[in-house]
Amino acid sequence: MSWDDFVWFVIASSLCWIAGAVAALMQKGWKLPVLLTCGGILLFFLFILGMWISLERPPLRTMGETRLWYSFFLPVVGVITFVRWRYRWILSFSTLMAIVFCFINLLKPEIHNKTLMPALQSPWFAPHVIVYMFAYAVLGAAFVVAVYLLWKQKTVDSTSMGMCDNLVYVGEAFLTIGMLFGAIWAKEAWGHYWSWDPKETWAAATWLGYLIYIHYRSHHASRNTPALIILIFAFLLLQMCWFGINYLPAAQGNSIHVYNM
Amino acid sequence: MWKQPWGYAEGAVICSGLFITGTALQFTTGPVNANLFQYPINLLFGIFYMVCMIVLHLNKKKSAAIRWLSGMEASITSIVAFLVMVLIMGVTAQTPQGATVEEKDFLTNLGFRQLTNSWSFVLIFLYMLTVLLLTTLRKTLKYKTGNIGFLLNHAGLSIALWGAILGSGDLQRLHMVTQTGTPEWRATDSKGNITELPLAIQLEKFSIEEYPPKVMVIDNTTGMTLPSGNPSMLAMENDSLQGRLMDWQLSGTQYLPMAAWVQGKYVPFQNEGATTAVYVKAKQIKTGIVKEGWISYGSFMFPHQALELDNQHSLVMPPLEPKRYVSEVTIFTEDGKSIPATIEVNKPIKVNGWKIYQLSYDETMGKWSRTSTFELVRDPWLPVVYTGITMMLLGAVYLFAFAKIGKKNI
Repeated sequence: MSWDDFVWFVIASSLCWIAGAVAALMQKGWKLPVLLTCGGILLFFLFILGMWISLERPPLRTMGETRLWYSFFLPVVGVITFVRWRYRWILSFSTLMAIVFCFINLLKPEIHNKTLMPALQSPWFAPHVIVYMFAYAVLGAAFVVAVYLLWKQKTVDSTSMGMCDNLVYVGEAFLTIGMLFGAIWAKEAWGHYWSWDPKETWAAATWLGYLIYIHYRSHHASRNTPALIILIFAFLLLQMCWFGINYLPAAQGNSIHVYNM
Repeated sequence: MWKQPWGYAEGAVICSGLFITGTALQFTTGPVNANLFQYPINLLFGIFYMVCMIVLHLNKKKSAAIRWLSGMEASITSIVAFLVMVLIMGVTAQTPQGATVEEKDFLTNLGFRQLTNSWSFVLIFLYMLTVLLLTTLRKTLKYKTGNIGFLLNHAGLSIALWGAILGSGDLQRLHMVTQTGTPEWRATDSKGNITELPLAIQLEKFSIEEYPPKVMVIDNTTGMTLPSGNPSMLAMENDSLQGRLMDWQLSGTQYLPMAAWVQGKYVPFQNEGATTAVYVKAKQIKTGIVKEGWISYGSFMFPHQALELDNQHSLVMPPLEPKRYVSEVTIFTEDGKSIPATIEVNKPIKVNGWKIYQLSYDETMGKWSRTSTFELVRDPWLPVVYTGITMMLLGAVYLFAFAKIGKKNI
């Protein structure tokens, strides 16, 4: 399996996801959309698995490889949210975002070679990054919902806010797990669990941003607009943490997390 | 303002006040000196602080201010203040711990270039922790089963942060440089002070396992890899080099993983200083012109060797990327034991309370290095931090599993 095969998997998975999203919008019960979306997810995962085998390492090292997981987790989050809370439009959003990230990978392929520096050869590597990518996908969905509620809906109902809350709880839980896995790994690899490396600093900022949202919401159940603004701000922090620091002058040359492109 | 009940405004004023106080302290006394915060002072401080928290908690009925401190407005404002400090750290390049700040400007005077040692950061951090501890105490003493997620998250974070702060003074991180065949028991800290350790390490053998060679095309005049901005490479697979790179079809006809440069060609060589060499035939696809020759990245004994493809392009082999750094050592302890061990990146070993990490080697010698540098870490408070981390992990699972619409007490 190589990146040359990627386009075919993108076409097949996207078709499944689009069909699933359309089926959900057309009120055809829940089984068909779930089945179609899961089919697409399975196909996409086969590509990841193939890359994993042919690279002889988990495909988690470069920016392009983390986008691969992001595209994978978005429909996963979409389908879980759909099954659990039956929001019919969520699959359209997750499909759209997953396809956007696939296109970025198709248009801007980066060097994907087999080498993995010794510090990354750890059993903590895969869980750390995969958990984070899942969190980013959930919080990406929360961001889209927040933008939709702020700009499209005149009055925000408590059910929609409840969905934001749930997505943030799940996202923050996974951010916490990813961060703590990272801390335990750092202790094994670099001798200390936290060293305020630029990536760690921005991860802490992101985590605190969502923490503010959670506290604000549980204190002011009906002040929706400020809560949604906090949610959008927290997602901007997440973007800085994920790839913003690659371009941030203050983070150059002293982060162990700057992706090897 | 300052009329009960307090709200966000009072919280913002308290945080700003702490920042101003911290900055004033920074200007008058310089950065925080964490060296004094060692056992037993850190332990006594921790106990004293906890007693203060409990006394405050027990007097909460008498004082609305104490009640406010364990409430939501205080929590939110203190988290926001701490987030601001973290963001300052995020946009200011930080000088590593132990190193001296070079720049002499306003940001340095504010303490922003080494923020974790600045008074404003420390005061705001402690304030946030105080609010966290009081909140945790309030909920712990009113325990209900529905609170379990809240408790795991808040108590876990309190314990982890307290363990990390109190333990930072007792954390020892030393560097030890070892030479093959010689036992070493002296190590240096980040300031260059030498410490004699209760254990000695003798390096038996250092080795580097490398990934297979790669080749790439460079510009003859600039030396930059091509295509610029998105350089491509061709890696050897199963000891064979075959494939297309830019406009050339490459094939390796001879591969010497251990080679020496002797009289204009490479020959097998199994000794110190050996390099890796490949004999390559490169056919320009458009013109059909074939160039051939040896390429090698060289070593401290032999020069590197490139193959000129045309006037503008050359084919080169960059130094091999390391796969594993391995130090085989014998460790001698004071009680007379000698322990053979292998230390690798990501695989530290633990001896008598010290964790020993592979840190570096003599890079000029590469895989022939006879030096290996280890980092030795003693962190007696780690179990406390890990207790907190475990509670937070359970709390996160709880948060994930029980997220429900309208759910309170997270």
